[in-house]
Amino acid sequence: MTGIFSSGIDIVLNSLVLGGVFLIIAIGLNIIYGLSRIMNLAHGSLYALGAYFGFSLVSLKINYLLALLIAPLIVGLVGLIIERVVIAPVRSRPIVYTLILTYGLMFFLDGIIKYFWGKETRFVELPAFLKQTISVAGFHYPAFRLATLLIIAAVMIGLMLLLGKTKIGMTMRAASQIPEMVSVLGINMTVVHISAFVLGCILAGIAGVLAAPLFTVYPIMGHQVLISSFVVIVIGGLGSLRGAVFAALLIGAVQTLAEFFITDFAMVVVYMLMALILVFMPRGLFGEGKFE
Amino acid sequence: MKSGTTSRSLIPPQRKFFGLTAGLILVALLAVFPFVVSNRFYIRLLNEMFIYGLLAMSLDVLLGFTGLLSFMHTSYLGIAAYIAGLVLKHGPQKSLWLALLVGVLATQVIAVPVGWVQVRTGGLPFALLTLAFGMMYFTVVWKWYGVTGGDDGLMGIPQPDLSLFGWVLGNSGNPVLTYLFTLFIVVICFLVTYRIIRSPFGAVLESIRENEERAAFIGINVRRYKLLGWTLACLLASVAGVLFILYKGYIGPTTMDPFAGAAVLMMVLLGGMGSLWGAFIGAGLFIFMQDYISTMTEHWEIFVGLIVVLLVIFLPRGFAGLVDRLRNGEKG
Repeated sequence: MTGIFSSGIDIVLNSLVLGGVFLIIAIGLNIIYGLSRIMNLAHGSLYALGAYFGFSLVSLKINYLLALLIAPLIVGLVGLIIERVVIAPVRSRPIVYTLILTYGLMFFLDGIIKYFWGKETRFVELPAFLKQTISVAGFHYPAFRLATLLIIAAVMIGLMLLLGKTKIGMTMRAASQIPEMVSVLGINMTVVHISAFVLGCILAGIAGVLAAPLFTVYPIMGHQVLISSFVVIVIGGLGSLRGAVFAALLIGAVQTLAEFFITDFAMVVVYMLMALILVFMPRGLFGEGKFE
Repeated sequence: MKSGTTSRSLIPPQRKFFGLTAGLILVALLAVFPFVVSNRFYIRLLNEMFIYGLLAMSLDVLLGFTGLLSFMHTSYLGIAAYIAGLVLKHGPQKSLWLALLVGVLATQVIAVPVGWVQVRTGGLPFALLTLAFGMMYFTVVWKWYGVTGGDDGLMGIPQPDLSLFGWVLGNSGNPVLTYLFTLFIVVICFLVTYRIIRSPFGAVLESIRENEERAAFIGINVRRYKLLGWTLACLLASVAGVLFILYKGYIGPTTMDPFAGAAVLMMVLLGGMGSLWGAFIGAGLFIFMQDYISTMTEHWEIFVGLIVVLLVIFLPRGFAGLVDRLRNGEKG
């Protein structure tokens, strides 16, 4: 009886954590698309980059929680360079070009990762207090998964405050609605574009560092996550925060269930759902998304 | 789409003559190639370039002419290759033409209904739909061990005899024969596609690419023509799939993964969208880059990625755009 319950708790926790990782990545993609109309295919590689920076920092005997702060900032810096050097010159081109450009970027970053860190799978050592399990009422909860959930919630709250209460956040929201108007009001759109891209990269970095101890670190770790994040964006509706939260939890649950039970074709159902939503509800489940 | 594609214009007769002559000389050179260079590695490399060139051309029909983006066009190469492989493996006889016929037709049985659903949308939703369906195929192929062999792929496919009009040329295990046969089929496919694209039908596709709404206003059934464009693209891709199984004797799920799909997209861009022949140049360049750089350095991804990024920034119309620019002596 306890066995069933504890594996039930495992499933719930795992799906929440997985959904949370998808959510952070999907929101980063959403922000970049919302402001720059660029679907960043290199986002999975930036997530992997975050995980590797986290791994390196932890192997330098830096506390994991500190690494969780530093690594995303480094990814943000990489994002700043990418934005200025390659994204800015092609921003006004049709979406096909930016898709192929960011695809090339993905290859480049994957190659860089393999060059510096090699192809081996890496493991991130957690501090002792995160490795233990917390026992409540006879059930055991792994502390790190709970901590991850708290961190994801904190990131989401921080993001909402940033977008809702600060000037740059409000500018970004306004610019995603009517960019011309914001530009006419004398706001430097270049700064808005840069902030959106860097913010997206920082979010990808956070997701990477969070995922590193859970799913191990390897060069192509971003590929599957990128596809799942696309599914999250589509089901939630492009640009919809509420929809993304719901869709991320859904996809996290389905993927975790597929791992626990031998339902090889569970992902087929997810892709089917994605196709149905694209055809019949192109604005997402809540009808809040928008396509150009 | 406007900025990226060569505009439809009347081709002056002398240029048409030049193109025809250049094409004939190129095909003749390629046909003689295996008899001059006996290194099997290069023969197989060129063979692969033909197959991916055909696939890239089929994507060009969709992207460069109809203006629809498919992330996962290799799916249809993969499906056709799997079906043809299964026919060769379990079919009543190891007949090439039977495999070709069944492979191409069965792929259309899947592709046409999917296309019928997809053409209800356009732009980014269309592209994401191709991703959704492509991932569906990929997952099915990857997990359906009993039929597809799962991640091991389909192995032990017998080499059929190559025959033309009942005249047996030899076995496809011979790389030179397979090379020549592939070249023959690819050239035929190119000529047929060129004819179709240069017909009024092609003009309708291009009008949809340029402005879907206006095309609808002048009475064009946009959805029907999009579906026809899609079907043409999938037909060509499935022919490439059968050629692929003939060349490789093996098909695995990685041929159909999203990254292989995006590689084809890159080939089209490298060659230049909307020119048909550019796709072959793009495929050649891409496969050469991938192969050559990967023998030189283990870190080929860095260079391939860098080249793609530089090309998109500095040469967005690809090789065909460069040729146009040199010919006309004008900038951009």
